[in-house]
Amino acid sequence: MATPRPIRSMDPYAEQFWAYTQKKEFRLQKCCDCGKFRWPPGPTCDKCLSDEFEWAAMGGQGKVLSWTTFRRGYFPEYPAPHTVIVLELDEGPLFVAYPVDMEVADLREGMTLSLRWTDGQDKYGEYNLPVFGPVSS
Amino acid sequence: MAVSFDRERLGPLKDTVAVVGVGETDYGADYRGAGGKAMAKGEVRYDSYTLASRALKRALDDAGLKKDEIDGLCTGPTLSSERACELWGMNPRWSGSGDAAQCIIEAAMAINCGLCTTVALVYGNAQRSMDTAYGGSRVTGGGITSYFYYAPWGLTSQGALYALLFQRHKLLYGTTDEQLGAIAVAFRKHACMNPNAVMQKPITIEDYMKAPYVAEPLRLFDYCLINDGGVAIILRRADMAKDCRQTPVMVSGFGWSEENVDATQLRPRLKDFYHTAHREVAAQVYPMAGVGPKDIDVFATYDSFSVHLLASLEGFGFCKEGEGGPFVQNGRIEIGGELPCNTSGGMLSESYMQSWNHQPELVRQLRGGLGQRQVQGAEVAQYVHDVAGKCKSIIYTKGG
Repeated sequence: MATPRPIRSMDPYAEQFWAYTQKKEFRLQKCCDCGKFRWPPGPTCDKCLSDEFEWAAMGGQGKVLSWTTFRRGYFPEYPAPHTVIVLELDEGPLFVAYPVDMEVADLREGMTLSLRWTDGQDKYGEYNLPVFGPVSS
Repeated sequence: MAVSFDRERLGPLKDTVAVVGVGETDYGADYRGAGGKAMAKGEVRYDSYTLASRALKRALDDAGLKKDEIDGLCTGPTLSSERACELWGMNPRWSGSGDAAQCIIEAAMAINCGLCTTVALVYGNAQRSMDTAYGGSRVTGGGITSYFYYAPWGLTSQGALYALLFQRHKLLYGTTDEQLGAIAVAFRKHACMNPNAVMQKPITIEDYMKAPYVAEPLRLFDYCLINDGGVAIILRRADMAKDCRQTPVMVSGFGWSEENVDATQLRPRLKDFYHTAHREVAAQVYPMAGVGPKDIDVFATYDSFSVHLLASLEGFGFCKEGEGGPFVQNGRIEIGGELPCNTSGGMLSESYMQSWNHQPELVRQLRGGLGQRQVQGAEVAQYVHDVAGKCKSIIYTKGG
């Protein structure tokens, strides 16, 4: 059984994002007309209002912008302490995740981390959750 | 789109509308139950309409107006305009809704258009009685907004989003926890001079540092209260304000700008600290009122979390970007200092009325006579609404 996690916000576009994760593919929408990436998934390009898009594969690397450590538990699935990070992906979008295979004390502003996968499930089914860890040498 | 000041249209609206009445509920007394202990969350004492009605009655009494003289109504969270109008027996010629600053701007426009002359702006929130959740499992699964979209990764609550903002500020500028702590300590000091404030016990910087983290690097005292209350404000056409009981306080400037692109990604929050919106609001509110940051005698910012103050002081030009930390230290933001901020104790220590309580406080500071809490010689007051990129500001001045 996959790891239970707090429920995802689901809509027809989020469904497609999460469907790719079942194949461990990390894809974000890219506007076919102006090239802007968007996240979270949605129907329209916020830059040019085009509804033509592709699911572009991300390189899976980003730089750390900020982080916070929950010292009070909010979700039974994530007892405190739990640390969340925000990365700036190489392609431009910012992405929230949590760090794996590293100590929180080793987080640094601007450090490059790379994509890992961990399993997850909620009432919408099983999926894989993109998380980030040190770049393997 | 870059915002600039429309001198021809916005300029003439300066001082055309006045605040003639304010009313608030008994925040401190309502917070404490039997034996002076805080009421438990979910222990129902009031509903929002009880609180809003009480505040409205007090604001009308303050103004010396009868309810039938109100011809416009703005309702804030958590009220329904329809129910409020029925409850208060009102048939307004105009109505609006929104946050406090939004309602003030909308009401000023409606009055200037001739749609109404005297508007009651009313807010009520029984959030402690109702045990309103601002994070965790009870606020997941809906549409798209940054404060629950990332629940699958364990990110939740407005507090954590402001913790990310402060952590970014620390990483870029070397801002320290002690510097941030000066804000909570100052606001608590102000609350202790305000008999209506929920919190009445002073804290020191040592108390601040010893308090537990909630979402690190934010600690307990960086978070606002969760309490029940209501607020009402009466705005009236300036030429009719002289008939009222109190010296009018003029609405001398306002501005509005939003920064929403990639908001769920947290881009404006973490890459800009919302400063683009701050600068655009500053470019309207200051020239409209004919003042600048150096002229502000009393300042208040939305303070669901202490760190709002750093962002708004930097964005409105009270100090340079990145210098908010040193700026707030050494008593500068305290009553008696260079720029007294959130003089009621704010939402950290007076009452979490989602900024509605800041408006009566600024009005009273300009009326004068607040005793030890009075900012001496206060003539110009500014409110900054810096909430997740929905930025507005109001400048009030002492009326004649």
